[in-house]
Amino acid sequence: MNPAALIPSPDALPAHWGWFYVLLLLTFLLHLLVMNAMLGGGIITLISSFRKGEQNLLLCREFSYKWPYTIAFAVNFGVAPLLFLQVLYGQFIYSSSVLIAAWWLSIIAMLILAYYAAYVYDFKFSALGAPRIFVAQFSVMLMLLIAFLFSNNMTLMLQPERWLDYFSNPEGTLLNLTEPSLIPRYLHFVVGAVAVAGLYLALIGHFRFNKGTVDPQALISKGMHYFTVATLLQLPVGIWFLLALPRQVMMIFMGGSALATTLFMSGLLLTLVVLYLGYRRRVIAATLATLVLMIVMVIMRDLVRTAYLSPWFRLADLSVDTQYSPLIFFLVVFVAGLALIAYMIRLALACRGEVAK
Amino acid sequence: MNYPVWELTTYGGGFLIALIAIVHVFVAHFAVGGGLFLVMLEKRAYRDDDAGLLSYVKKHSKFFVLLTMVFGGMTGVGIWWTIALLAPGATSSLIHIFVFGWAAEWVFFLAEIVALFIYFYTFGKMDRKNHMRIGLLYFACAWMSLFLINGIIGFMLTPGSWIENRDFWSGFFNPTFWPALVFRTGLALVMCGVFGFVTGAWVKDAVLRQKIMRTCAIWVTLPFVLMIVGGWWYINAIPALPRTIMFEKSPELATYLGTLFWFLPLLFIAALAMTIRMPNGLQKVAAFGVVAIAFVYFGAFEFVREGGRRPFIIYDHMYSNQVYVSDVPAIKQAGFLQTAKWVRHTSVTPENQHEVGADLFRMQCSSCHSIAGPLNDIKPLVRKYDSVFGLDAKLDGLGKITRYMPPFFGDREERWALAGYLFSSINGHPLPDPEPVADLNMGNPVVVAEELPVAIPPFDRTSDGQVLLAWSSLGVREISDSDDHWTIAAPGSDLFAQLVRRGDPPQRITTGVEIHYQMEHAPEVNGMFQVDDTREAFFADAVAIAPYRKDGSYHPYPLLHISAIDSSSGAVLASTRMVAPVATEMGCKNCHGGGWKVAGITGISDATAHDVLAVHDRISGTDLLARARQGEPPACKSCHGDPATGQAGDPALLNLSAAIHGWHANFLTDRSGSQACVACHAARPDGPTHFFREHHGAFMDCTNCHGTLEQHAVSLLKQEALAGKNGAAVLLEELATTADVDVSAIHPRTAWLQQPDCLNCHEEFGLGMSVDAFNTWTDSAADLYRNRQDQMGVMMCQACHGSTHALYPAHNKYGRQRDIIQPLQYQGNDRPIGHDCTVCHTVQPEFEGHHPNSLRL
Repeated sequence: MNPAALIPSPDALPAHWGWFYVLLLLTFLLHLLVMNAMLGGGIITLISSFRKGEQNLLLCREFSYKWPYTIAFAVNFGVAPLLFLQVLYGQFIYSSSVLIAAWWLSIIAMLILAYYAAYVYDFKFSALGAPRIFVAQFSVMLMLLIAFLFSNNMTLMLQPERWLDYFSNPEGTLLNLTEPSLIPRYLHFVVGAVAVAGLYLALIGHFRFNKGTVDPQALISKGMHYFTVATLLQLPVGIWFLLALPRQVMMIFMGGSALATTLFMSGLLLTLVVLYLGYRRRVIAATLATLVLMIVMVIMRDLVRTAYLSPWFRLADLSVDTQYSPLIFFLVVFVAGLALIAYMIRLALACRGEVAK
Repeated sequence: MNYPVWELTTYGGGFLIALIAIVHVFVAHFAVGGGLFLVMLEKRAYRDDDAGLLSYVKKHSKFFVLLTMVFGGMTGVGIWWTIALLAPGATSSLIHIFVFGWAAEWVFFLAEIVALFIYFYTFGKMDRKNHMRIGLLYFACAWMSLFLINGIIGFMLTPGSWIENRDFWSGFFNPTFWPALVFRTGLALVMCGVFGFVTGAWVKDAVLRQKIMRTCAIWVTLPFVLMIVGGWWYINAIPALPRTIMFEKSPELATYLGTLFWFLPLLFIAALAMTIRMPNGLQKVAAFGVVAIAFVYFGAFEFVREGGRRPFIIYDHMYSNQVYVSDVPAIKQAGFLQTAKWVRHTSVTPENQHEVGADLFRMQCSSCHSIAGPLNDIKPLVRKYDSVFGLDAKLDGLGKITRYMPPFFGDREERWALAGYLFSSINGHPLPDPEPVADLNMGNPVVVAEELPVAIPPFDRTSDGQVLLAWSSLGVREISDSDDHWTIAAPGSDLFAQLVRRGDPPQRITTGVEIHYQMEHAPEVNGMFQVDDTREAFFADAVAIAPYRKDGSYHPYPLLHISAIDSSSGAVLASTRMVAPVATEMGCKNCHGGGWKVAGITGISDATAHDVLAVHDRISGTDLLARARQGEPPACKSCHGDPATGQAGDPALLNLSAAIHGWHANFLTDRSGSQACVACHAARPDGPTHFFREHHGAFMDCTNCHGTLEQHAVSLLKQEALAGKNGAAVLLEELATTADVDVSAIHPRTAWLQQPDCLNCHEEFGLGMSVDAFNTWTDSAADLYRNRQDQMGVMMCQACHGSTHALYPAHNKYGRQRDIIQPLQYQGNDRPIGHDCTVCHTVQPEFEGHHPNSLRL
């Protein structure tokens, strides 16, 4: 059977695909940042729990305050890119999701449990004492599992040739374990999450956004340490990931595509830059450089997707049934929403001193 | 069918979405109303300077965050997750149509989270006015989420003019948008009172606790009015068809409607009851009791609302099994397998039939039916079917008249494959050897009839002065032996006789003579014919003859001894024998299940009869089964009149023939040959009766004269439509879409009183030059073959040619001679009487008197 025959016919877009493409990349970047803080922060908290010293404990306490927020926003910021992904690549993501349906649906249950565990970790931090580590472990483990399932689906959706397995297992319990790039891809994201979370902790210290009694300097120092070590680890992981990609995908970064190659080279360069800045504990500079690096990475990730799908599909193939008023409506709501959020945050910050008590 | 289907079997049929959606929507409505509840109580606490109340509000806000933001928020994403897995096609449709609506909803979701975090974490720390403002902003954002999702959910039930114009706003502000918004806003406010009882019950201060209970009771009962008004408006805004399905037709929703009916007032009463002072322990239990009542109410409402969309997931746009309405013509043309993705085969072969059936079940059924699961289990629904044929017929009729299920999508072979899968894999019967689709056996036992000897009565041409001819006016009298449940046709054969005094010319005798009949195997069935002066014949109406011997065995062709006796002397002038065909082989069980009643070959079993009533009650809203159980089994003709007997029935209802053929024709379309006919009538070639036993059977089947079942039904329904009966249009609607039915070309006719005329083919009584007798009807009952006389007006057609469906030379499966006793008696051959004129004419006539072509020289 020709896998192309399995690819569902896509529905028409209500606006030019470029709109959704930009929104997808933008909101995915937001999701990535917050998700990294959530997952990486959890991992750093676990590591810190095993280390001695009061500041490590206080780091855990500090992150416990932040953890529920990061989960709430990681989920919220995940909704938008998933929405735009379904708009542009629905025929792929829906199909691959059904193939791994049982696992995929379990994400919701795991997320609820991980979320409640994070609240328990926060609200009962002192009351639980040392065993609280089990709560954090439980939550982090679930998050790692969720991330692994995402890696499975994000790769499976790009490989219609693997969808034929459905006919031997329609029960939704497939995974994409034989995909060579699965593990390096997964590690690339998890290790990256630790790096970004390190930066996040350093930023809390830098801006004195700590709620607890952790020493901001210690927070910066520890955060930048995690950032640098994790980024260093990304070098072998990233090379493994690159080499594990199918040849026609990998080659776009090796001169096959000018844009992809340029981005790849810029990414390498930026990695060296952030390593240096991390080593020098330059929080703001490292943050800005990392942000640029992540933008590069997000675009590269999308080029990988495009390269994978190139035998099957191009975004320009999607039919468009344009109606602009809903787009305008959304943009108005988006801007008004951001203004509203800014207003509310201003009100909250105005009493921040009291909050910190 | 675009997308793969997640095979869930037990937890299929929408179980997962029902589970996740109901818990989410329950909490999500609380999430909307609860925002206002918090702010209003906070305001009151400030106004009254009530520290206790303020402390309650703060605690309640923590509960609120943990329940709505964590559980509510995550299950909300969970619904999206779930629908994308269970109905990816529909999800894709909704996402693409409303992407900017969803995106806007996401913005409000984000603002909600920000607002709620700030509200919760700055409680007691922020300026009071600003804090309440944050709370109100939370409520506003949450309500806007409701506003947006309400538009999209409403669209699924009532897409309104979007179907024509594809305009985002038409779909969003659809016909149920505003009423549903009012209803849900009321509901959201009710829910905050409901959850308030739970946190309130844990307040330690008894006075404060009682105050909170009263407050919460007000929060439940006041918006209750808004909810009821909105709900009423909502129901009335739903178009007639889905509303009828929802409230009258759907067998699935009756339970949920009943639950709704009881739990709605119960919730109100329970909320009021919470104001009663009670021990704190009891109060805590009772608070959860109110939540449970609200949950059941909510669940029932959601089931009704979702079920109301049947057979669509997006009304008029996509069927529940994700087939686009616009794809149906292509599927009809090319078949399902050719147009679907994610199926193993692209055509049906005997080898892959089972796999195709399994794929079709997964694609077309599993979205609503689980296999042995809690929701819409397919097993009990198909359990009664004991043949592939029955299931195939059920699939054929799906969604045609009762519109709560989609029709089957696919061609004849695909439908048969699905029926085979249901029969074997779901029902657990061994699949018979590849049965041809057009098989006439329908999974029934093959009856090889034993040869029953018939002694031909003597006739001596030199000495016998009279010729006695006797016959049954119908080729078979079909009767229902299910009188404990219902009666469609009671025993009552109409017998005729003519007595001819041989001579030149011969003369018919009707005076000074008595004609008697007596059943040979049951002598107690006997009587005397009456004189029919008009036709100079004799008749005996409604003679109760049953097709059973004393030992209960089936005997559809019993013999009667007929004798003509001189009234004055008592001398026997002439005698003969005749067959009185009668059958109980009505194939109801082929689809209604229950098996045959007698010897595994004939008769309507109790289970079959029971199912017939149950189905009639379900479809037509009658209480026939209850009546039968009370000892008053209905007679079909008491409501559905019968032109043959003149029973009027209910004049608003279709006559029996139109109703029964019109209904069942929808389940038996596109049949080749007589399959649809013999499925019900006692004419199966390998059945125990096979009443169509005349020589026409060698080269024609039922459809040559009567048309296919659809054509037959259309002719009857059109006549009823002319009589102004509404039911006819409903049954005609789908038949009109059947391939070989040109409704406008079919002439209406009255059941029984108008039939195809023999002369349609046998022009001028000559050899038939056509085998198409359908669609030209006799003018009236008087012109029917069974009532008609020859052109001289002396002999009835049937006297010489035999009963309808048993015209000489007929071939009875119980013996070669059984249906030709009189030709053999008088002529020594199997030809129509008069083949040899000298049977009656002592001098060979030279002119054709009876009709052209009657003289055989």
